[in-house]
Amino acid sequence: MIICVAVVGHQNNPLFIQSFTEADDALKLHHIVHCSLDVVDERVNNPKKSGSMINETFLGLLYPFENYKVYGYLTNTKVKFILVTTDLDVRDADVRNFFRRFHAAYVDAVSNPFHVPGKKITSKTFVERVSTIVKSFGLSSAG
Amino acid sequence: MEEYPEELRTPPLTLASIVGYPELHSLISTHLLSCQPPINTFALPHFSKINLFNNKSHHPSTTLLTGIFKRDWLLKHRSQIPSVLAPIFPSQHVFGDPSHWLQLCSDLDSIKTVIRGRNIKLAVVIVQTNAHDEVSDDRMIALRKRAEVDAKYVITLNPNDNSELKQSLNSLANIFSELASAYYREEGRRIKQRIEKKNVSSPELIVRYCFKVAVYAEFRSDWAEALKFYEEAYHTLREIVGVTTRLPAVQRLVEIKSISEQLHFKISTLLLHSGKVTEAVTWFRQHKNAYKRLVGAPEATFIHWEWMSRQFLVFGELLETSAVTTQSFSPVISASKPLSDWEYYPAYYYQLAAHYLSEKRAALELAISMSETSSEIDCVADSVVPSVYVGQFARLLEQGDNVEMLSITDEEYTRYAVSEGRRFRDSLEIIALQKKAYESYSSMKIERMGSYCGFQMGKEYFTEGDIDNAKQIFDSIASLYRKEGWVTLLWDVLGYLRECSRKNGTIKEFLEYSLEMAALPIKSDIGVQRDTGPAGPANLLQRETIQKEVFDLVSEASGLATNEKLSNFKFTGGESLQLEVDLVSPLRLVMFASVAFHEQAIKPGTSTLITVSLLCHLPITVEIDQLEIQFNQSDCNIFIANAQKPQLVEVSGIQQHRVETVPSLSLESNKWLRLTYDIKSDQSGKLDCLVVLAKIGRHFTICCRAESPASLESLPLWTLEDSVQTVPLKDPVLVLSGQKSTQVEEQDPRVDLHLDASGPALVGEIFMVPVTVLSKGHDVYSGELKINLVDVKGGVLFSPRDSEPYSTDSHHVELLGISGPEGEDDSQLDPDKIKKIQQSFGLISIPFLKNGDSWTCKLEIKWHRPKPIMLYVSLGYTPYRDESNTQMVHVHKNLQIEGQTAIVLNHHFLMPFRRDPLLLSRNKQALESDQSQTLPLNQKTVLIVSAKNCTELPLRLKSISIEADDDVGERTCSIQHANVELSEPALIVPGQEFKKVFSVSSDLNISKLRLGTMVLRWRRDLGVGEKSASAATSSWVMMKQKLPDTNVELPPLIVNLECPPYAILGDPFTYYIRILNQTQLLQEVKYSLEDAQSFVLSGHHNDTVHVLPKSEHILSYKLVPLASGIQQLPRFSMTSVRYSAAYQPSNPSNSVFVFPSKPQFKNAASTNFRVESVAAIE
Repeated sequence: MIICVAVVGHQNNPLFIQSFTEADDALKLHHIVHCSLDVVDERVNNPKKSGSMINETFLGLLYPFENYKVYGYLTNTKVKFILVTTDLDVRDADVRNFFRRFHAAYVDAVSNPFHVPGKKITSKTFVERVSTIVKSFGLSSAG
Repeated sequence: MEEYPEELRTPPLTLASIVGYPELHSLISTHLLSCQPPINTFALPHFSKINLFNNKSHHPSTTLLTGIFKRDWLLKHRSQIPSVLAPIFPSQHVFGDPSHWLQLCSDLDSIKTVIRGRNIKLAVVIVQTNAHDEVSDDRMIALRKRAEVDAKYVITLNPNDNSELKQSLNSLANIFSELASAYYREEGRRIKQRIEKKNVSSPELIVRYCFKVAVYAEFRSDWAEALKFYEEAYHTLREIVGVTTRLPAVQRLVEIKSISEQLHFKISTLLLHSGKVTEAVTWFRQHKNAYKRLVGAPEATFIHWEWMSRQFLVFGELLETSAVTTQSFSPVISASKPLSDWEYYPAYYYQLAAHYLSEKRAALELAISMSETSSEIDCVADSVVPSVYVGQFARLLEQGDNVEMLSITDEEYTRYAVSEGRRFRDSLEIIALQKKAYESYSSMKIERMGSYCGFQMGKEYFTEGDIDNAKQIFDSIASLYRKEGWVTLLWDVLGYLRECSRKNGTIKEFLEYSLEMAALPIKSDIGVQRDTGPAGPANLLQRETIQKEVFDLVSEASGLATNEKLSNFKFTGGESLQLEVDLVSPLRLVMFASVAFHEQAIKPGTSTLITVSLLCHLPITVEIDQLEIQFNQSDCNIFIANAQKPQLVEVSGIQQHRVETVPSLSLESNKWLRLTYDIKSDQSGKLDCLVVLAKIGRHFTICCRAESPASLESLPLWTLEDSVQTVPLKDPVLVLSGQKSTQVEEQDPRVDLHLDASGPALVGEIFMVPVTVLSKGHDVYSGELKINLVDVKGGVLFSPRDSEPYSTDSHHVELLGISGPEGEDDSQLDPDKIKKIQQSFGLISIPFLKNGDSWTCKLEIKWHRPKPIMLYVSLGYTPYRDESNTQMVHVHKNLQIEGQTAIVLNHHFLMPFRRDPLLLSRNKQALESDQSQTLPLNQKTVLIVSAKNCTELPLRLKSISIEADDDVGERTCSIQHANVELSEPALIVPGQEFKKVFSVSSDLNISKLRLGTMVLRWRRDLGVGEKSASAATSSWVMMKQKLPDTNVELPPLIVNLECPPYAILGDPFTYYIRILNQTQLLQEVKYSLEDAQSFVLSGHHNDTVHVLPKSEHILSYKLVPLASGIQQLPRFSMTSVRYSAAYQPSNPSNSVFVFPSKPQFKNAASTNFRVESVAAIE
């Protein structure tokens, strides 16, 4: 189950962060997303260490933390998507698929002529769409 | 890692035992320990002690199994049960007295019985103190048979022979390690066979056997096998988790976890030591995942969390210590379970260890609250001790000397564990772990992870009541969250900081943190939070609450806070509180002032507009009581009072200042408050708005640094919000260009400054530039004239490179002096009047001038080089007598002046007419280049000096002379007319050339002739005033030019052409050619004479003659002129055979004027003069 997704801007500032959990650990998830930016930075700065990651938007598993697993995705405009899940066994393909759909939703949201680039995303449509994508996560593999 | 026993933490060492002969023990044990691999020695001084090994309790382990590992098994093998036993016998016991031999045999027998049960290997050491002791082969064989050892296991030591001793000790060590490895191998194989037989009754035994095999393998340094069996033991153990029912549930799990912990520790150590970091990390992950879910009974979960925490801590420590040795690792990204880089950082494990420890603490607190009274727990816990098996606990029952272990129930165990857990302060441990992680992350520049650790650490400090430490950490991490705009995280941290300052009673910090929180861009709830910390939920309501709390506090006039939360803070009477908001302050969100002058420059006394805009992000509208705008010119300060609160304006001391009143000063959230006023300044210079002070209540002030709209830095956090961006001013131009400072210009000068210069300056003369100051409307007080000479092309008037001819004066153009107006002498100047003159800079003060007066001075400038310069003159003065008003007014003027060379001097030499010496060097030079002139020795030479006026002005010339150089001791030549002055200064008009003739002769036999320096004295022609001024009032400019040195040489031959001064048509005359040989040698000369059209000629055309030394040969020709006018004589040419030098007379000396008939001269003398002068000019 995905419990948190986030969009992070150039200055590592949060543009959108949404948690999907009944437990009241939203703040902790914010911390986890924030910490994961260190891993993204490290990946981006030392591409050699992580093998054939050059020109790959999907960053894979960033780090496991307590019961969470954090995945990352870096768009060509250097906007970061972060995904936090509690699933123990996550298939890379599922995560990739999720990020692809999430990216599409993001592109649609920032293409809104009333959206100023670099500002927080407040579009309700985007929120709804993200919820749909999150809900359908992993279903394709199950079914 | 420290909580593990020593034997587990270090790799096991082979243990050997030596018995008897205690004198040698320390020698042998030291040597064995220094071997590679080292061997530990268990030394027994006497044979009677060997029964120590014999106390093996033969429990039939298969029948009664109570635990998996015995706690002391490993220690026993490391320190008590040797692999090799070596009795040491002195040689005389072996080879000497039979009674000794018998004793020896019995000792050996007893040793053999002891070691047989344990399969301990035997070696025998014989100590031979004397090399000459007899050695009996029979006894040796007997000994070997008795001891049942091979010959090579009997070692002889001679402690008195150093070289031999070393060798025998080495062989002893070799034999020991050989026997030891055989022992451990056999032991391992023995136990392995038990496993392989598959008839082992319980899986616990398999675990035990595997562990033992692995340990024996470790003893022999067979790491691969050790690893294999540890892993096998580990896997077997994992399988029995749900199966075994040997112990009560809680204790069962504790035992299994303890054992798996030991096995895991061993495996990790082995993997890391062999450099397999990736495998170790993968292994740890499996280990963690395998046991993560085995939480156990709900009342004992804290035991699980503690165990988890320890796993992470220990692995982190292992990783850290091994990271020193194995620096480089490459994470292998396997397809199934990729490892992230993070799992290679020890800090990651410390962080998680801290996390699990806090889980443990929570669980423990729950367990304590659920259990009964604490006293009961304590009394139960008293008698519980760790049992002989790893991971088991038992109750110690003492009945007299008899000690018995009783097994305990789960409930008892839990109580025991709770009481044990209460003894530790987990917070300190968590802080230590988080600190480790924090420091480790910080050293790797991993800021955000570090911040999270810091946050956890700060929270712990906070709950521990260590406010100072907590505040320090929170402060450092708050800056990162501010920078990156993580508002929710910042909110939480600020909440803690606010609480810290509340507890510390520092009201200023409390206000700062509170206001920053209230101004954060949080609009809606980010979700209900259970663990919100002291900040409370991050939402608009909470922001409003915080703001109200703060403003209630500051508006309390009496200083007694009604709110109990704020009772910490007390305003002492009259104390005011001021918050500074500068460009980098986080409080810019709270209040932020932008100031713009509407004009960039104003005249003094005229007014301009200034707009002050204030922006506030606090959620509730703020009522400001009074605003104060401060400038660098304090006269301009403006007070703006709120009409609704009039009583506050009457603060003493501000009556002189300007006070404006506005109906309302309320700052709505996120809306600009714009105030525009006119302002004027009488003082020139910069008028800069410094700060805007907003007074709220009696004691509270916010001091905002003024910012220019043009260089406005956006507010850090609010720019990221999706809201309309507003600008401080309505005027779109001012928004982009508005500045918080304006330039007040100085007054227009009402004084004229004239610079007059008559034409170009001439090099060498002192050039006068009159400067006139004429007052036209201003009085001139403390006036000052600054003079600057600047090269037109830029750069200085000085070049050190080409300063040779003017080495004394290195400046090309020089300001020599400033002469005051007529009648004013330098000595009469006041002492306080300044007059400073440097080569290109001058400063002179001018006296007081009334309106309409004028003052003149003259600048004396001298040029050393022809060069155009720019003369800058600037006048600074104050128009008022008032000392306090030091506003200077400045006038600037400049003038370009050309510098020209006045006179160009030239010179050349001439030989006497029709007399030509043969100068050999000149012939050579003709081929090369004519560099320096050569003069003949002992001959008179004519020197003509010409001075040409290059200016456009007429000049007067006083004299041309040639002076000897000072540095030459004596003159090397005589010059006629050298120092004769002209009778009257000669006028040279522009372009004209003046010539003077000198004759030079030298009779010294030297090769170089120093002629001296041409000296010319001149001045400008004064025109009409010439007559009156010529009486030496005006100074003469002296101009010098050195004559180049000339060579002198003795000509071997001199040719003299002799012919009459003129000829008459048809009248024959004789043409003599004299060839003078000046050498001591006979000179052969070839000559030829060409025919000329105008003459009939008699004589040899070509011939060769010999001229005797120091004598003259004369050729004579009779010529009859055939044409009149100036005619070319027959051309004579000659070649000196000795010098291979040809000679041709020059053209002018080779012509003669032919009159048509005999002329009638009135005066023969005048004719002569004319001819000479013609020659001179030519």
